Amino acid sequence: MLTIAIAKGRMQRDALELLGRAGVRVSEEALNSRRLAVEDEEGRYRFIFVKPQDVPVYVEHGIADCGVVGRDVLLETEADVLQPLDLRIGCCRIAVAARKGLRVEDASVLHVATKYPRVAAAHFGSRGVPVEIIGLSGSVELAPVLGLADCIVDLVETGRTLAENGLEVIETITESTARLVVNRASYQLKSAAVGSLVAAVSEAVNKGKEES
Amino acid sequence: MTEPLSNIPGGMRYYFGREARLRRAVETAVMSVFDGWGYEEIAAPAVDYYALFERGMGHEEARRSFRFTDTDGRLLALRPDVTSAVARAAATLFAQVPRPLRLCYAASVFRQRPRSHAEWKRQVRQLGCELIGSGGDEADLEVLLIAAEVLERLGLGYRVTVNHAGVFNGLAAQLSLDEAAREDARSLVDTRDAAGLQTFFASRGGDGGTRPAAPLARELARLSGKREVLEEALTLAAAEGRVGDSLRALERTWQVIEAIGLTESFEVDLGDVSGLDYYTGLVFKIYVEGAGARVGGGGRYDELTANFGAREPAVGFVLDLDAVSEVLLRGGAFGARGAEEASASKVGAESPGERFREARERRGRGERIRLG
Repeated sequence: MLTIAIAKGRMQRDALELLGRAGVRVSEEALNSRRLAVEDEEGRYRFIFVKPQDVPVYVEHGIADCGVVGRDVLLETEADVLQPLDLRIGCCRIAVAARKGLRVEDASVLHVATKYPRVAAAHFGSRGVPVEIIGLSGSVELAPVLGLADCIVDLVETGRTLAENGLEVIETITESTARLVVNRASYQLKSAAVGSLVAAVSEAVNKGKEES
Repeated sequence: MTEPLSNIPGGMRYYFGREARLRRAVETAVMSVFDGWGYEEIAAPAVDYYALFERGMGHEEARRSFRFTDTDGRLLALRPDVTSAVARAAATLFAQVPRPLRLCYAASVFRQRPRSHAEWKRQVRQLGCELIGSGGDEADLEVLLIAAEVLERLGLGYRVTVNHAGVFNGLAAQLSLDEAAREDARSLVDTRDAAGLQTFFASRGGDGGTRPAAPLARELARLSGKREVLEEALTLAAAEGRVGDSLRALERTWQVIEAIGLTESFEVDLGDVSGLDYYTGLVFKIYVEGAGARVGGGGRYDELTANFGAREPAVGFVLDLDAVSEVLLRGGAFGARGAEEASASKVGAESPGERFREARERRGRGERIRLG
């Protein structure tokens, strides 16, 4: 049996819907329960539902063989996992946003509030901008409004939250979509099972693309 | 303020009881396999010049070591690997010793920064062997088969993936990838991002699309399996040059693996492209059932000894004792046997003098005696 870790929240529904089209189905009853580990209808897969940033942890340790998680999380955690498939769901971008009218180049030291300290540090570091990274775990948009930071580095889906807080995107650091990730040892030791899962999901992704 | 002494530095740990006994048993078993193939044990310095490891492992890997300075200001490191010191000894201390050299070791290595979340330990014990001064397929196979014998002796379900460093390196050279592009392509292959790899070559347009190396390079991320993978690769690749030679070398290795009936446990994996600045020929990785990360690996590193004065062929591998012991501790015949405590007798005599005398006598006969 393969264990698949799914990131709870934002992309959970889309991920399960995609897996369903790939022939991996979980009963409604199991999904609606509060259990954090459920099996698929044929008993070939076990799903565990964990916080997005914990998906790479479970997969790297091999507790989960596979996982579904956003590229943003993989970048931030520098996860050492295989990423055979772009699932083309959960599309968004990691962007720098600030209050309208802020000129980044005017600041001698830029104060950046973010849930992505590594991504942010690497981004500004690559262009030699001195920054103070302020790590937050939520409601990052508040930081520039209240004066905690000059700008933020955050995930932007529609940009509505930004707009409602008087912020605008200055630049996009990178695009992000959900990835199917695989543990390095499972890829070798369970190659048949992993291979057929990757093939089935890949087909479902490509079909979805043709339809849309 | 005083630090509480109960704290243990991150990545360090104790081993005791069942686990300590098992580790000892595993180490003894593995070293006896090495010995059975005629390998001589070598113990290397635990502290050595940082420059040795920088030359031996490359800058990126060496940077992960614990570093400090010698009394004369030179930079030292707690050894992050053993192979560097063995290669230096081969080129210097053993320069006049007839070849081939067959050396093995059991030694702890230290890394300040772990490579991934799963590799949290900063001290791990490596069991390894090196065959120096012998090139060609047979030397490669000798080391591969030692690895297989070790894993079988321990009763582990395992898979060894084999690749040849010349496949990716040859393709990168044929495609004239600069350093940054080479690393991008390598990382895409390494993470098996098949679609990303296709996009990467498509976006490079003219130079990446039409050269004879391009068809194979685009498919590397998904080429793992048995013989058919080599056949497919050979049809995709231009047959001449380094890439073709590497694939044919791999094919010869695979033929022997088939001949001795090990195809179930071995796999060709052209997507294994880690450590390619270090290896020059065969590259292999060891996975065992029950371990979430690889437990060992090795390959041919013909350029390494050149760093220390004389270039000569060399091939070897290491096994991570900690990772293997963790798996064995959870089950299996070897684990149960190795972790078992030998029974101990007590002595009956009344006076302390008598007790010690009786204990000494019986220990002399090979008994295990615990006083009191």
